[in-house]
Amino acid sequence: MEKKTLSQSEEILSLANNLRWDLGMDFHDTIIESIYKEASKIARKTTRMESDKPAYSLDLKIDRWVTSRWLGFPIMFLLLALVFWITVSGANYPSGLLANLLIDMAHPALKSLAASIGLPWWLDGLLIDGAYLSMAWVISVMLPPMAIFFPLFTLLEDLGYLPRVAFNMDNLFRKAGAHGKQALTLSMGFGCNAAGVIAARVIDSPRERLIAIITNNFSLCNGRWPTQILIATIFIGGAVPAHWAGLVSAGAVVGIAVLGILFSLVVSWGLSKTVLRGEASAFSLELPPYRPPRILQTLYTSLIDRTIFVLWRAIVFAVPAGLAIWLVANVHIGELSLAEHFIRFTNPFAFFFGLNGVILLAYVIAIPANEIVIPTILMLTVLSAGMAGAGEGAGVMFELDSIADTGNILRGGGWTLLTAVNLMLFSLLHNPCSTTIYTIYKETNSAKWTLVATLLPIVMGLVVCFFTTQLWLLLTQ
Amino acid sequence: MNSINPGIALLIGAGILAALLWALWPKRGLLSLLNKARMNSQRILLEDALKFLFDCEYKGISCGLNSIAGNLNISADKAAHLLNRLRAIGLIRMEDQAFYLTDTGRSYALRIIRVHRIWERYLADETGVGPMEWHDEADRQEHHMTPEAADELAARIGNPVFDPHGDPIPSARGELPAHKGQPLSNLQEGEIAQILHIEDEPRTIYEQLTALGIYPGMEVYVMDVAEGKITFAANGEECTLTPLFAASITVELLPERPPLPPFKYELLSSLRLGEQAEVAGISPNCRGQQRRRLMDLGVVPGTIISAELRSASNDPVAYRIMGATIAIRKDQASLIFINKKETSTNEQASGL
Repeated sequence: MEKKTLSQSEEILSLANNLRWDLGMDFHDTIIESIYKEASKIARKTTRMESDKPAYSLDLKIDRWVTSRWLGFPIMFLLLALVFWITVSGANYPSGLLANLLIDMAHPALKSLAASIGLPWWLDGLLIDGAYLSMAWVISVMLPPMAIFFPLFTLLEDLGYLPRVAFNMDNLFRKAGAHGKQALTLSMGFGCNAAGVIAARVIDSPRERLIAIITNNFSLCNGRWPTQILIATIFIGGAVPAHWAGLVSAGAVVGIAVLGILFSLVVSWGLSKTVLRGEASAFSLELPPYRPPRILQTLYTSLIDRTIFVLWRAIVFAVPAGLAIWLVANVHIGELSLAEHFIRFTNPFAFFFGLNGVILLAYVIAIPANEIVIPTILMLTVLSAGMAGAGEGAGVMFELDSIADTGNILRGGGWTLLTAVNLMLFSLLHNPCSTTIYTIYKETNSAKWTLVATLLPIVMGLVVCFFTTQLWLLLTQ
Repeated sequence: MNSINPGIALLIGAGILAALLWALWPKRGLLSLLNKARMNSQRILLEDALKFLFDCEYKGISCGLNSIAGNLNISADKAAHLLNRLRAIGLIRMEDQAFYLTDTGRSYALRIIRVHRIWERYLADETGVGPMEWHDEADRQEHHMTPEAADELAARIGNPVFDPHGDPIPSARGELPAHKGQPLSNLQEGEIAQILHIEDEPRTIYEQLTALGIYPGMEVYVMDVAEGKITFAANGEECTLTPLFAASITVELLPERPPLPPFKYELLSSLRLGEQAEVAGISPNCRGQQRRRLMDLGVVPGTIISAELRSASNDPVAYRIMGATIAIRKDQASLIFINKKETSTNEQASGL
């Protein structure tokens, strides 16, 4: 009996299979068609169409303006420039306030507290100079711009304007093998690469989403802008007559940002033609109706979902980095600290790329956040050049209020205009910060693509720095 | 501080970069060449020979030593050696200078063919790999995938029964429907037929047929048969092929009926802003995710669609479909067939 039913069911299965060959190739399409036909029949019978014309016709009128040939791009650039301007100018004051509070006031207070309860010097250094200081730095530099940038961006998104940007930009990104929505993740990357990577969720085509994730690091994030501005002001502004200095150094920073956009397009194109060629790709882009933004909700979600989320990840990574920074400057092997060993060892190698050992070490140990690269570089420069009277001591990151003094320390560490140019290039083209790397892993769920996204920019950075340096030397010799 | 002359350093740097590019370049680079060389093993030749023999059997052609050597692109000596081995392990038998599969050989061949066709289907539906590469990719994959892995993949993509060229996929138990249809070159004037299958080898012929826009499922109407050429209408366009090319296309005769007028669908990409149309269908050249996405959005026969906006950079055009505004790129819009509507006769839905 048992056997009989088994053979019967097998017979039925094989009959079903044979019948499927007779159904032909397009029966899936036929099914979907009939489902739609049936659904629209039911809908016609049971619902009454209220004309949605007035609301839609207003939408269409706005759309005709924002996607028009002549006005589309100017409107877009103006709005994005406005967002960046509000972010930069608005973040200055709260950033200063936070730095004052967390670094200038709380740090010495913690130090004296530790001294009064008799904490051993190494524990005090490790916890307060290392972990606490790096966390405080990340918060004070990172929080204000993000807390301004993300709500503004979310507001534009909520209004319905951002899909129109993607719609306008799609042609350019299509040619690079990417999705128009990459324009949005790229802009988001100017705020924070980790947030840009998360934002790539809006791209529903697997290949284009991977491209957007891998190339997001080429957007100069807000942790790198201060570095670029500082170095450009000291070295590039310093190399031209004083009345040109402001304009030239600002131009250099914008140039680096534009170079980043170019790199992201070129790399997108390269990826889509080579390693990502086989990934599935599908394009569709909905232009949703405009609607008045819900301001309170926008503030809440952008602060919680984006700002606090990213900040928390950054803090989690900043603490161990702070420990590492303090340790390499304070653990000695023989006469020298670990940091000095590393710097001496890598210096000859780094010179080929127009950099130096200090910069390489800073980028290795300041991987959690680009914000702490400059304080780390300053600390390491003072440490390795043995400058007396400058800085706060081994392993204690610092920044100076005076740009001229900062310049003096760097020049004292052997920096030239070439070093500065290379630092600016390397700051654009190096691995993403650990927060972003972790986010890429979370989003792609693939160690392979995380590795590609991490190593590709470093290799490109080293190649670009190498050729810049050697050409420069060839031409100035 | 720089002890090496920058000119020399530049040369060395450029050299290293060039070497890296050469090693990693897709298809022609060192790594991929090494990969290719490793692939060319004896087992692969055996399996390819079985596949070829099965193909002959399926089409009812007898198969000799020379045709095998030609198909596998090896010398006759090598082919003879190969066939001896196959005979020794009982996969083929020989009768009157022709070779036939044994039952074991047939089921082995079917397993390979199943993997090959499932993999082609998978590439067509789930990846962005282009039509010209399906066959070669599947040729590589068929020797490496276990039957279990193939079953798993088939289950994941909905147990397909046809590969993208229109060939039936053998079932896991090794069943295959009888060979259907005849070459297009056999048809007479006035006959109507549906394309069942387009042979993907040789590649140059397949490339040209694909470029002509011919696909499985298409209806053709033979207009003229003359010495050395056959002229037919497909999708409203006249097409002339030599018998060699026409033999690559397998068709099935459709019942007698008045031929379709030489009617051609217009493409969505030709719709001007403000114009309205009814969707007639999506070209089979739009596959996988992209096809599903369009259908999910309501691009199915009968839907009313109107062009609304053109992007500032000219390319995607936003269309109004079922009350939503959807941007579609030009290359996709030219895969969607429509029937244009007179805007004036349908004021209610004509928009502004």
